[in-house]
Amino acid sequence: MNVDRFGMDTITLAGPLEAKLRAVRDGGFTQIMLAARDIVGHPQGEAAAIAAVKASGLRVTGFQVLRDFEGLSGHLHDYKVDIAKSMLAMCKALGAPVLLACSTTSAHAEDDRARMAADLAKLAMLAVPFGIDIAFEGLSWGRFVNDVPAAWDLVERADRYNLGLALDSYHMLATSTPLDILDDIDPARIFFVQLSDFMWTSTPTPDERRETARHFRVFPGEGVHSDEIAALVRRLDENGYAGDISFEVFNDDYVQMPLDTVVARANRSVQWLLAQVPRRSLPFRRRAG
Amino acid sequence: MQEQNPEPRNPLGMDGIEFVEYATSQPQALGAVLQMMGFVPVARHRSREVTLYRQGAMNVIVNAHPEALPGMSAPGAHPALSAVAVRVRDAEFAWRRALDLGAWAMPTRASVMELNIPGIHGVGDSLLYFVDRYRDFSIYDVDFVPIPDAPAHPPALAGMHWFGVVQSVFADRSRDWVDFYTHLFGFAPLPGGQYFGILPKGTLLVSPCGKFYLQLIEPPSGAEDIDWEERLLRVGIGAPDIGAATKLLRERGVVFVDRAPVQTSDKGALTQIYLGSVTFELVKGDLSPARAGSGS
Repeated sequence: MNVDRFGMDTITLAGPLEAKLRAVRDGGFTQIMLAARDIVGHPQGEAAAIAAVKASGLRVTGFQVLRDFEGLSGHLHDYKVDIAKSMLAMCKALGAPVLLACSTTSAHAEDDRARMAADLAKLAMLAVPFGIDIAFEGLSWGRFVNDVPAAWDLVERADRYNLGLALDSYHMLATSTPLDILDDIDPARIFFVQLSDFMWTSTPTPDERRETARHFRVFPGEGVHSDEIAALVRRLDENGYAGDISFEVFNDDYVQMPLDTVVARANRSVQWLLAQVPRRSLPFRRRAG
Repeated sequence: MQEQNPEPRNPLGMDGIEFVEYATSQPQALGAVLQMMGFVPVARHRSREVTLYRQGAMNVIVNAHPEALPGMSAPGAHPALSAVAVRVRDAEFAWRRALDLGAWAMPTRASVMELNIPGIHGVGDSLLYFVDRYRDFSIYDVDFVPIPDAPAHPPALAGMHWFGVVQSVFADRSRDWVDFYTHLFGFAPLPGGQYFGILPKGTLLVSPCGKFYLQLIEPPSGAEDIDWEERLLRVGIGAPDIGAATKLLRERGVVFVDRAPVQTSDKGALTQIYLGSVTFELVKGDLSPARAGSGS
């Protein structure tokens, strides 16, 4: 496992986009996971944000996040398709190879797995002409899909080559997902891994999971689930996962700290993670097989 | 995915290629190349700088209309293969079904009293049209005016007919495009190793009507510095006798590449590149002109 596979996520950092990009690059990272608000919220507009990303020299890991896409019907579905198209166009402009889509939390969605799978297949098809992959993530407070097995079930049902999974250690820890599910998943179908820990032992209810996820995450190695995260990364490595790993660490304190301080903590986390896995360097490949 | 009612193998009732379209700012130059290949200009568009060329069952539209559709490039000096129109049973059905499955709708450019041919975005800047009016009357009857004294139905040279379309794809992206053509149109990938012509590489898909092929080509390995983009590369033209076809075309001035690995053989031939971007591939395959012209 080599350092270049680790990236920072802009949501972990405070400040304007340019400052985030500079801090991440100066901290020695080579890639950045972008959020839509980095681009559309840029004071000089979307084109300036895209130019800043290109000028940074950082590789774009992916783009987030499309919410509540699957399981809607009628005008709500049409509305979400429009949103998805807009996000795909931004992905293309940024050179982002992956769009992150997370499982629905919408009260208007229906628990119809065939329809949800068809919706994800449609999303993947929309992305084909742009050469973009869709990484589907089961939010731990998702209404119907809230863990990796359920997310993988939908991805398999949808059966599109450019549709795969995004794994987030936070959600796996929050729902106590056993790692054995990873042995059932072709590592080439995992498009993206996000890592973070948190400070409490458990998060039994969806509300607690959401609250913790949005305010109290910490870097791997800083929380109370270090053994579990180390086991997750080892299992991914053993199974042949060769894609990117990004730090998505929503934390109210981190966004009140100097950027280079937060990036230094990220670097410490990289070193901690590298110590957890055998020192062999897998060739980086976006898609195995 | 569980399917209680599996779709028919040809869900759109596809029935071959109606036309292919090139976009270019040099329509005369491309017209000269097409005529060398045996195509005859037969009609012009009523309102735009668009000409229809034809030989046998093959229609080629040369579009020099300078205004691009929103989000797309205006025609450049190097002609680009910009659209393929497929014949289907019901164009409205085919278009709506494609949109339901995740295709991007193409904005219409038809003026009043012109035919609105439904289309979706294909690879790169290209479009895929659905045409269902090709039996009793043709789409050209509405928008085109015949060129005086030109034959309406010039015969094909050497029995030539559409064989297929070749598309470049980015590395590792062939299976995405297989999904695209399989689910939106009903194409089926051929087993690996089954090829036609002189360029045995990439992924080959057969149309659900069995009348033409798509070939998806990824960049050659070890060629990361090549300027490679995803687009429609060229058309393949079938001919029952490649020797006879190349002889006839050479007499008309067509130059074929005559060096390995694309040396002309009884399997096929590749023309030189014209106008910086246009080549034609001749292929001897199992699509006979009779089959290509039948209504299946």
